[in-house]
Formats: sequence, structure tokens, C-alpha cells
Amino acid sequence: MAGKFCVTQSYAKNDSDKATVGFVIANAALGSEKETMVFLMAEGVRLAQQGYADDIHEEGFAPLKELMANFAAAGGKIFVCSPCFKRRKLDETKLVAGATIVGGARLVEFLSEGASSVSF
Amino acid sequence: MNPSGQSQSEWDAGMMGCGELILELRQRLNQLPPAALFTLIASDPGVPEDLPAWCRMTGHRLVRAAPPEFVIERKPQ
Repeated sequence: MAGKFCVTQSYAKNDSDKATVGFVIANAALGSEKETMVFLMAEGVRLAQQGYADDIHEEGFAPLKELMANFAAAGGKIFVCSPCFKRRKLDETKLVAGATIVGGARLVEFLSEGASSVSF
Repeated sequence: MNPSGQSQSEWDAGMMGCGELILELRQRLNQLPPAALFTLIASDPGVPEDLPAWCRMTGHRLVRAAPPEFVIERKPQ
């Protein structure tokens, strides 16, 4: 894969439209052969919990659960902000496929290696 | 020994993580001589991913990672 791409996602059910579009863009990046990472932060970390996204289906888009599963199955990485995750008292043993809890250094490393980025 | 009774070559960071941990860790390693070994105890779930990344970026060497214990060799200079 040539080049890196990061989608920063800070929304979950508080804006399911943005939560969905973030993964649509991420899949476009992955399909364009970019090494792609979705960074979940703030409310967005809720998307990393198994079952949370199951009922998010915005008109005009595939269900979010399907978008996320396709992303992970194609090799996309999902980084989950550790302090954001902890403060919401979520369960680190129930992460969706492709998700890893990380701190800021992992994000900094990815972006410092020349990644392009879009934020939601 | 520092005021908390811990050796300069080890630090129990508890549940501290992310930027707070990294900045404090940098300050502690900077006080050590080149190639010194430093033991970090950190239980934050992000540390196993974060620490290797931080070492790759800064030039320190992660000698051992057995969460929650990590051993870092300070970079030569």
C-alpha cells in the first residue's frame, strides 16, 4: 500500500450521520490502497464496543456495523483513545474486530509518517 | 531515590496513560545516563501499543514488554 490515511472520528450516536460517513471515507481510503487507520476519540470510542453500532443505519448508506466489519476484514486498523475509553467505563474485553486501545504516542507515530488525515 | 522512595531507574505510573504518561516518562529518562535501564510499571490499556511507538520515535529501546512491566534502555544521547 502506498501512503497512509487517518480518519479521526469523535462521533457515535450523538451524530450517527458523521459516525457513518467517517467509515465510508475510511473504506474509500482502504479501497484506494492506502494504509488506513480510524482513530476513535471522545464519544467516537463507543463505536469500538461490540454491539453498540448494530442499530445505526443512516438512509443512503450501508449499516454502520457492516461498514466497520468490512473495514476490519480488509485490513483497516481502528485505534481507540485510551483515556476517552476509560472515562466512559467501557469494556476493553469487548472490542470490535480491528480495534486496539492506544495512547497518543501511537497516533503521533502514524501521523508523523506522512499520513493524510480527515476529522469528523 | 526520589522523594517518593522509588529508585530513579523505576517508576510505578499506576493507571496514568497517553500524553500525561509520555511527557513524565521523557522527563524521567532524560535524567538518566545513556544506555541506562529504566523499569516502568503502567496498567493503562493503551500503554502496550503506545510505548513501542514512542520508543521507535524517540530512539529509546524497549528491552522488554510484559504488561504492566516494561524495561526501556535510554538512548545513547
